[in-house]
Amino acid sequence: MERTHYLRREQAQRRTAIFVALFVLSTVLIAGIVGAVAGLVLNQRALEAFEVGGFQAALAQFDPQVAAMAAGAIALVIAVTAIFRLISFGGDGAKVAQSLGAIEVPADTRNPLKQRYLNVVEESAIAANMPVPRAFVLKHEKGINAFAAGADPEHAAIGVTHGALSSLTRSELAGVVAHEMAHIANRDTQLNIRIMALVFGLVAVYVLGRMALRGALISSMGRRSRDARAQMLMLAVGVVVIAVGALGILGGRIMQAAISRQREYLADATGASYTGDPQGLANALKKIGALGRQGRVNNGHAEEARHMMFVNAAAHHSMSGPFSTHPPLIERIRALDPQFDPDTDPVWREDQKTMMREARPWGRPAP
Amino acid sequence: MEILILIVVLLAIAGYGTMLYNRLVRRRNASENAFHQIDVQLKYRHDLIPNLVETVKGYASHERETLNEVIEARNKAEEIRSQAGSAGASAATMGELGRAEGELGGALGRLFALSEAYPDLKANENFRDLQETLTSTERKVSSARRAYNNAVMEYNNTVQTVPSNMIANMFNFTLATPLEFEDREEIQQAPQVSFS
Repeated sequence: MERTHYLRREQAQRRTAIFVALFVLSTVLIAGIVGAVAGLVLNQRALEAFEVGGFQAALAQFDPQVAAMAAGAIALVIAVTAIFRLISFGGDGAKVAQSLGAIEVPADTRNPLKQRYLNVVEESAIAANMPVPRAFVLKHEKGINAFAAGADPEHAAIGVTHGALSSLTRSELAGVVAHEMAHIANRDTQLNIRIMALVFGLVAVYVLGRMALRGALISSMGRRSRDARAQMLMLAVGVVVIAVGALGILGGRIMQAAISRQREYLADATGASYTGDPQGLANALKKIGALGRQGRVNNGHAEEARHMMFVNAAAHHSMSGPFSTHPPLIERIRALDPQFDPDTDPVWREDQKTMMREARPWGRPAP
Repeated sequence: MEILILIVVLLAIAGYGTMLYNRLVRRRNASENAFHQIDVQLKYRHDLIPNLVETVKGYASHERETLNEVIEARNKAEEIRSQAGSAGASAATMGELGRAEGELGGALGRLFALSEAYPDLKANENFRDLQETLTSTERKVSSARRAYNNAVMEYNNTVQTVPSNMIANMFNFTLATPLEFEDREEIQQAPQVSFS
């Protein structure tokens, strides 16, 4: 069993590497395409040749220097915006948690639910051999959900919804927290911040293309120029840049979701190895299914943070597709509990009242 | 020219040797640090128990036998813990510590099972807090033990495998002992994770 886990872990890590490589490759490709187009169009001789001899003749006048410069400029735009985004967002987990509206749990809390939560966080930090992250609660969320943030273990934060605190038993909560701890230990939070930054860079390319297109349209309307065909080409550059940027964003989102799905399985497996109790995590996932709320978080920032939630926060149903950042709930449960059958499993159809009664850390009040 | 090549080769070997040595030291420190974590948690656990016993006494004083069992198991475990001291302790001491902790866990389990019969005790805030803290400490012990065993496995692998075993022999790096505790069932069971 242990071995299966390690094999799976290696497999997931390999796939992540492939996806990241693809991502970098696509950035290079985008810069290359834009560069090639620019080498033809931002080049007087090629334009003149085009007027006379058409596309073939223009191709012969291709200017590699201009192409390289344009490609470099695009790559620079992607890199600079990505780095800007990297610096301004996500390094400090506590800041991310606060931007989601989460409140830090004070160390001396007297609330038994929160005490238990703090204990569980410490337990998983010890199991992961990492510093204890700061612990947050999303106060007004009744659904069951959780998140991890922060670029490195020293600046990590973990948060759970109030619903998770009140509806999950100790071992289930431990499973959820261990899953989030695994995200930090596996550097998923870091990877996610980087991918978000890259997508942000591609958005900049798209915006740049729109600006170029608008410029070309205005100048073509403004003056009757002798080389109308050249201006058509300028338009073409803008369209190409927009198309390439949009495709890049689309591809980026798909890849981000694909990477995220892999990392979710990995975090489930790593988290289960921290608690030594995969059933706890499996039961937490079952309860989420049972609540039907699918761990919905109502905060407006949830869309931006959807990749770091415990279950898909934006989805109303257990939808799956190229854009979903989490694998289907049932498959995640099956990976942890192979005997799981949604038709007969009692936890899968429990109601929240029962859950909250079971989850109470104190004994039933004396009759 | 030949001398130069010889020097470069010797330097490279020395550099590689230093790297292996440092790796051994780092891993040994990591396992010692992980052991220290267990020690801290065990001590904390032992310190909590007199408190717990006092609280229970107030509600169920006639359960003397179980309470005494807990105290005895606690004292024995604490004694062995203070002897075990560091990661360098012998395998025999480690085994003893594991057994003593197992016995303590069993006695505590009986005490908590018994508390089910005393609703007033269960409703006591202090008892509730102690129960949660003890549960958590037990989890921390088992988490720390798992982290320690991982660190030991990594260190021992480095001591035993080629080429670092040569450096380990030269500088007397000895094998560390993993900890096996007789835990309660739920902690003991191997994680049942399979993916397909």
